[in-house]
Amino acid sequence: MTLPVPTRKPPTADEPGTPVFSVDGLWKVFGPKAGRVPADPELAALPAAELRSRTGCTAAVRDVSFDVRKGEVFVVMGLSGSGKSTLVRCLTRLIEPTAGAIAIDGEDVRAMDKGRLRELRRHRAAMVFQHFGLLPHRTVLDNVAYGLEIQGVGRSERRERAAEVVAKVGLEGMEKRRPGQLSGGQRQRVGLARALAVDPEVLLFDEPFSALDPLIRRDMQEEVARLHSEEGRTMVFITHDLSEALKLGDRIALMRDGQVVQLGTPEEIVGSPADDYVREFVRDVPREQVMTVRTAMRPASAQETGNGPALRPEATIAEAIEAVARAGAPARVMDDGRCLGVVGHEQLLGVVAGIPTDAGSAPAAPDRAPGAAPAPRKAAPRKRRQATPPAPRTSPEAV
Amino acid sequence: MATVTATAPRTALPGFLRSRATAKLLTLAAVAALLAPLLNARWGSGSWPHALTVDLSKPLASASDWVIDNRDSHPLFLYFFGYISNAVVLLVRAVYLTLLAAGWAGVTAFGALVAWRVAGVRLAAGTAAALLACGALGMWVPTMQTLALMVVAVLASVAVGALLGLAAGLSDRLDRALRPVLDTMQVLPAFAYLLPVVLVFGIGVPAAVLATVVYAAPPMARLTALGLRGADPEVLEAVESLGATRRQRLLTARIPLARKELLLGLNQTIMMALSMAVIASVIGAGGLGDRVYQALASVDVGAALAAGIPIVLLAVVLDRVTAAAGSGTGDAGTRHRTIGRPYALAVTLGVTVAVALATRLLGALEWPSGATLDIAEPVNRAVDWMTAHLYSGVPVVGGTADWAGHFTTWVLDPVRDGLQWLPWWSVLLVVAALSWLIGTWRTALTAVLAMAAIGVLGVWEPSLDTLSQVMAAVAVTLVLGFATGIAAARSDRVERALRPVLDVCQTMPQFVYLIPVVALFGVGRAPAVAAAVVYALPAVVRITTQGLRQVDQAALESARSLGATGRQQLWQVQIPLARRALLLAVNQGVVLVLAVVIIGGLVGGGALGYDVAFGLAQGDLATGLVAGAAIVCLGLMLDRVTQPTRRSAKKGA
Repeated sequence: MTLPVPTRKPPTADEPGTPVFSVDGLWKVFGPKAGRVPADPELAALPAAELRSRTGCTAAVRDVSFDVRKGEVFVVMGLSGSGKSTLVRCLTRLIEPTAGAIAIDGEDVRAMDKGRLRELRRHRAAMVFQHFGLLPHRTVLDNVAYGLEIQGVGRSERRERAAEVVAKVGLEGMEKRRPGQLSGGQRQRVGLARALAVDPEVLLFDEPFSALDPLIRRDMQEEVARLHSEEGRTMVFITHDLSEALKLGDRIALMRDGQVVQLGTPEEIVGSPADDYVREFVRDVPREQVMTVRTAMRPASAQETGNGPALRPEATIAEAIEAVARAGAPARVMDDGRCLGVVGHEQLLGVVAGIPTDAGSAPAAPDRAPGAAPAPRKAAPRKRRQATPPAPRTSPEAV
Repeated sequence: MATVTATAPRTALPGFLRSRATAKLLTLAAVAALLAPLLNARWGSGSWPHALTVDLSKPLASASDWVIDNRDSHPLFLYFFGYISNAVVLLVRAVYLTLLAAGWAGVTAFGALVAWRVAGVRLAAGTAAALLACGALGMWVPTMQTLALMVVAVLASVAVGALLGLAAGLSDRLDRALRPVLDTMQVLPAFAYLLPVVLVFGIGVPAAVLATVVYAAPPMARLTALGLRGADPEVLEAVESLGATRRQRLLTARIPLARKELLLGLNQTIMMALSMAVIASVIGAGGLGDRVYQALASVDVGAALAAGIPIVLLAVVLDRVTAAAGSGTGDAGTRHRTIGRPYALAVTLGVTVAVALATRLLGALEWPSGATLDIAEPVNRAVDWMTAHLYSGVPVVGGTADWAGHFTTWVLDPVRDGLQWLPWWSVLLVVAALSWLIGTWRTALTAVLAMAAIGVLGVWEPSLDTLSQVMAAVAVTLVLGFATGIAAARSDRVERALRPVLDVCQTMPQFVYLIPVVALFGVGRAPAVAAAVVYALPAVVRITTQGLRQVDQAALESARSLGATGRQQLWQVQIPLARRALLLAVNQGVVLVLAVVIIGGLVGGGALGYDVAFGLAQGDLATGLVAGAAIVCLGLMLDRVTQPTRRSAKKGA
């Protein structure tokens, strides 16, 4: 498995301004008298099966909180039935949430009346669907222009704007076709163009590429990465595919049974899984493609700061391996001409093997090696890294 | 019979008793053992007890008298029904005059152009040929009368049906309320609709048009609702996510997405309207149906055929053209042929007017009298020859009349006498047992109540007569239909050969089937049964074939891989897996057979159908209405008895 990491445009907001979406304590419960479940702490704490047998209700989203920052790709990832699709539909109230708060740019979404909500859907958040949701009786151009038509934009103007977007997603020459005459990948391009045509503040993707062939899927992922790097539009991306999440996401919320089990950068998810479920999930990820030298480095000794190949802090382990192997010596991690630390064979191998190394001290020996560090120390670094808030990583990363 | 509703004790029963069928039967047996002696002692056995009947003929007669007396004076008639009636007459007349003004050339040109726009060149040629054939048979004027009536009836049906369907498609409550009504209307024989309309409007064109509308609107309503409800939920969600209002969603997504169902609804409505417009000749519709009706009344097969052929041609052309309009725009979306574009419509109208003017100037507006082909004479000669040579006494095989006679003596009479000999409560018991075994206790209850209602109406004997004809016809239909269906499912050659025949047979109005059977078998109960068999057979064959062919290919393949013979595959895999389709075939067979057996009353089938026809002919609406109600009950009972359980399907939905 290879994970070609695209040039990821990092979040532009250096200082935490108002988040685009702010979700706090969100619940969606399906079933009779759903409202009592979030309200009652005893019911709210029940596991899914017991909740169903006691109340006949299913909690699809349980007490979820997160912020989506301006310009980032926020990925919600989880297996089928984890509540991720319900969650994204709650954002624009395509599904009415049961409890909790949602705000877009600080405005309470749940308090919106019909007109205001329509306004939100028309101009501020557009969605791309798993099975495209195209209108089979309209041409590609009219499908793309549909959102503008709903807004009441005149025929010639909306067609003109739609034609621009059609070109942007690479569908020139197919404007007159109907969805039935397109391949799956082309149809999803139409779906993407339809969402882009209304020039929304946020794009919501609901497993957009799950129904596509692997090769087409990769094309489309690159298309989205390209669009994001060109326009810097905020995106909320739902997927069940871990490699897709790692590839596209600035931050990932991993969901299980309606709850967010871990929220962090791809590196945090892979490098320090919050629990056994996440660990099992990320077990097969090629860690050297996700982890950066910043987490793997150790403090440099005095003579090491002067020589050896130089790496950026956000360089991946895979890049570091190449540099270290060529140089035959530890590589320096340089930021603005300052040496933050060094990585050598031990650290790199430790990351690839998935063995926690003690980054804070001298080169750590692998656990299983003779004379290994005492067992209790194993837990300590993991705990520490987990506690690391994502903020310090994002700010120096800004270019 | 409320005790039938008692649920079977399903728990704590050992061994084979746990089977639900056994449990149901045992429950019924217990109820029967308890009730039968009681009922027997109280009202005796044999035919339906007189004490339990309600004589409706007096109140009905007085009601009909009241209507007749007040038709010209009561405000309800003056200001409501009167306006409807006048509007219908006016509209039919206007359309008829327009058609006549266009002349035969104009109408033919218009039909061909429309067919060309929506269905291509071949169907355009077919349409022109069919219309010219109607003229050549000397039936131009009756054809135009039928067409005029149909145009008005179809427009009204589509409007009513689409509105009802729209309401049912948008409101869940209305859908729940409407669906059982529409489902039931679909299984009732056309004849049952005639009398209530006649009661209000009297015999004539308004009654015929309204009966047609009542009969033809339900499929439009059903399919409209189905189309609106069947729209891809993800498309609708996408539309909503873009911030569409309810109105926008309906106009830009739901209705266009339901296009296929809407056009199918139009197709079915047109076909049913034609079928009914022909039958409605009994209540004064005029046109082609009337010619057939009059000819059959005097057993003039030649004249009946001359009017019957245009009916068949109209049916085939209308079906093919509207079906092509529906299938022309699939997902592939090739909509290069349509009549909807304004310029296309303008061109079509322009050409029609031009042709009409040209023929008028040439003085050939009416069908040239020299160009008609009289087929009645030669056909009648052929029928006479058949009567003389084939009816009886043909060595070894016997004659057709002999067959009909034998069928009547050896099958119909024993079945009828047997049914009428059965104690009345045992008939109810059999109905309950059958419907409960196949369906749920609800269907069983409806079936038993419907059957009891027949007894209460006091038409127990004629109803059992009709029932005996239905049973005999269904038995023959199923034997032939299943055999043909299995053959067609197992051989592509047979299916290819059968398909065009089935296509044509399924589009023909019920009435037409009476013509050939009268030619072959004369009049009586046997011809009615024969017509019913011929009418119901195509549907049964088609459903059987489709059911068997749609059996899971993986299951069939695994059976083949285990070395099953063709016979084993059929009996152990295909037929068990196609059980639902086969039950549906039985249900459809029963419903279709009943419809024609009732119409068979016009050619000596007797029983309920005759009562209706007699009531209409003699103006004795009370008799007719009672028989009509009995037909409704019988249709309801037969449908419920053969209705496969829908419980699992409902749960899934």
